[in-house]
Amino acid sequence: MQLDDLTTDLLDATIRRALRHGGDFAEVFVEDRRSLGLSLEDRRVERAAGGREAGFGVRLTSGERTYYSYSDDISEADLGSAADTVSAALRDGAGAARVVNLGALHAPPATAAIAVAPASVATDVKAALLRSADEAARSAGDAVSQVMAGYLEARQRVLIANSLGELVRDDRTRLRFTVSVVARRDGVIQTGYESLGKSLGFEILDEAVVQSMARGAAAKAVTMLDARPAPTGPMPVVMGNGFGGTLFHEACGHGLEADGIAKGSSIYQDKMGDVVASDIVNAYDDGTIAGEWGSAAVDDEGAPTHNTVVIEGGRLRGFLYDGLRAREKGVAQTGNGRRQSFRFVPIPRMTTTCIAPGTASADEIIAATERGFYAKTLAGGQVEPASGNFVFGVAEGYLIEHGRITSPLRGATLVGNGIDVLRSIDMIGDDFEVKSGICGKDGQSVPVGTGQATLRIAAMTVGGTG
Amino acid sequence: MIESVDRLLELALAHGAKAAEVYAEQSVTRRVKVFRGAVEELTSARRKGAGLRVFQDGSVGYAYASDLSDESLGEVVEMALANARVADHDPDSVLPAPRDKPAAVDVYDAGLEQASDGQRIELALAVEAAALAADPRVKSVDEAVYADGDAQVFIANSGGVRGSFREGHCYAYAYVLGEQDGQIETGLSFTVGRKPADLDPQRCGIEAATRAVELLGATKTQTTKTTVVLDPFVAASFFGVLSSALTAEAVQKGRSLFAGRLGEQVAGSGVTLTDDGIHPDGLASAPFDGEGVPCRRTPLIAEGVLQGFLYNVRSGHRDGRESTGNGARGSYQTMPGVGPTNLVLSGPQVPLDKLIGAIEHGVLVTNAIGIHSGANPVSGEFSVGISGLLIEGGRVGQPVHEVTMAGDIVSMLRSIVALGDDARWVPSGSILTPSVAIEGVSIGGA
Repeated sequence: MQLDDLTTDLLDATIRRALRHGGDFAEVFVEDRRSLGLSLEDRRVERAAGGREAGFGVRLTSGERTYYSYSDDISEADLGSAADTVSAALRDGAGAARVVNLGALHAPPATAAIAVAPASVATDVKAALLRSADEAARSAGDAVSQVMAGYLEARQRVLIANSLGELVRDDRTRLRFTVSVVARRDGVIQTGYESLGKSLGFEILDEAVVQSMARGAAAKAVTMLDARPAPTGPMPVVMGNGFGGTLFHEACGHGLEADGIAKGSSIYQDKMGDVVASDIVNAYDDGTIAGEWGSAAVDDEGAPTHNTVVIEGGRLRGFLYDGLRAREKGVAQTGNGRRQSFRFVPIPRMTTTCIAPGTASADEIIAATERGFYAKTLAGGQVEPASGNFVFGVAEGYLIEHGRITSPLRGATLVGNGIDVLRSIDMIGDDFEVKSGICGKDGQSVPVGTGQATLRIAAMTVGGTG
Repeated sequence: MIESVDRLLELALAHGAKAAEVYAEQSVTRRVKVFRGAVEELTSARRKGAGLRVFQDGSVGYAYASDLSDESLGEVVEMALANARVADHDPDSVLPAPRDKPAAVDVYDAGLEQASDGQRIELALAVEAAALAADPRVKSVDEAVYADGDAQVFIANSGGVRGSFREGHCYAYAYVLGEQDGQIETGLSFTVGRKPADLDPQRCGIEAATRAVELLGATKTQTTKTTVVLDPFVAASFFGVLSSALTAEAVQKGRSLFAGRLGEQVAGSGVTLTDDGIHPDGLASAPFDGEGVPCRRTPLIAEGVLQGFLYNVRSGHRDGRESTGNGARGSYQTMPGVGPTNLVLSGPQVPLDKLIGAIEHGVLVTNAIGIHSGANPVSGEFSVGISGLLIEGGRVGQPVHEVTMAGDIVSMLRSIVALGDDARWVPSGSILTPSVAIEGVSIGGA
């Protein structure tokens, strides 16, 4: 059986069967995902792999408990046995069967129209883009010793039915292109990376786009060959736009996810309305931005995505909810219930998390910094939401001296504590940009975006070797 | 399942594949998460799928599906052949030759399938209870989890390789929050085995609690160069990052910091690192790898000298060598790459209290965050965030946090001066390592 063969009657029956020994909520999540990945290394398209993965999961919640069973065989038999597995957990309970009637199918349009479906484009056209990126990166000079380029397309169709009577379908197309360059000179090796990810079709890619990404990645790797070891200790840090948004994602965003709040494992749990950032900081999580990598019409529980204000004028204004935690708290869902696939239960996750832009230009921020560290591109990071301590690696960093960017610096990490750092933001620029990434939590990876303009943190610990 | 594997291989050859390989898996997994004495999440799952690799005159194509109906298998064959047409010619992409028998290693214990959901829940509850009882400063156990997996793996290729094995494992872990004067610190511990009876939930819960509360009262520390002792958890994450630079693929493609260093002293003379795919206690052990090549033991570093690299069939062919049984497979959805099995760090060991007792100033590092973003296995540079306990006059004392530790991996390996006597298996990668003492490491703080 395929996703499209599932009748409302069968979904309805499955939900009733899951609830037959009681429970507050039951849901069937069905997914059909086709993907194609091509990768180039050593001047060759080495990996061309595609496939189709389909399956479903049945979820039952009772109070704060969640029972989940999934299978990659969409069949009446497996739906029935998954419903039995979850309902068996409440066998000894005093629950009673509930009648559920699914409403009309809701199939909202994507946040942006897909002009050219990736699957409609010949695979050799995609392979040609990888070769084009390879050539462009290698034209940056002899120091370029290796180029890796990747193309990934995915079309994920989901069908979600639950005991609230909701029946929702969503059709998501995602496309990502990455270039990673290794440069080598006199025994020193450095890397540079560029990526582009959107919930859009093949229309976003052409030779000019991938060549420009490749040249950018090569330039970073080659520039960093001349880098000096980064200094160590506290100093003013200017974060670059785009990828710099990883700062907010790690320093604050994870702590606003409602599962940590519910369990008392976030430093933000008792701070609603409190000052948690400097008064120039306004931040939001927005799953509705047209065509963004982290966007979708609905989340993985079928709830519409949302633009949720989390910090306004430095004060904490909102948390990010999935259905379970929203129902527990009696608040509205914010469209943040996300999952990697049908193999996982949904949990509160960020979509595209942004710090709103300010008015200064990036040049003004640099010029106003006597001595500091310019973290132009971050490599990713990690946080412990309970303590708020975070760390991230700097892929491309520079020294700022007398208000000017001087030497490239290598091997730096930034460490700090969420609230301390947000309170130390003293300038925000006007060059707002959104970048795409992959975020991991509880063993689940989902596409997310970070949006930020250049901004300055008055003091932060830089960990280098110099 | 084996019928589907044979069917897919036949279909591929009938539709024009010159050579082909099918890798398939079928598994049952279960996971229990508890919070405050009650089940928070109970998951049970069946999973299956098959992947097909076709070899067309040196070009490789790959496709997979979770649906093993004839119609779906037909689509897989078509897609794999289409993908082979866009891939560039690669003379090294070949099938492994049928060879010796699979390694004689037993990776399944019938005790796993005999366990009931009730026992699984009890184990997770026992971990949480032990952590909560361990110290009054334990605020909560953010995650107390039991999970297991029971999988069958099949492989067949047109060169005559055909085999399968059953693998089982289980683990439990606790992630504990300790609190004192408004400060929160975290601690993690786990217990692993082939069957629930192998697990020690008491020790796991107590250790996670201890690791959290011993950091309470942590302050920042001065920026300096000092001796650090990485405990086995932290040491394992470093060797995990390092292992990607020890694959022949990374060397051949110019992205290994070990390229051209065979026979050189790359680590302290007390350091021996082995990839052991047949270790009786290693959870990554298997009769054969993701290409059907028998697993084995491969020396990487012996007494500090670089001995060799990890090979799959393709990187082996390129160097005119055999695969070392390191054809790694994430799942049926991915083509085989190269990766470690169990990594074992060994060498002369000294009792941990003597090792620490000999250090005048230093840091015992019990937690490192940002290793995946902060350690670059290509350039060898790393800079991570750490917490742990200061060592003064040979004694462990004041906890510290929000500290950075930075350097380059080769200098760090060469500066390993001693190993403790506390070797243990650390999952997430499967690594057997003791505590490791390293001199002259830069740490940053206030």
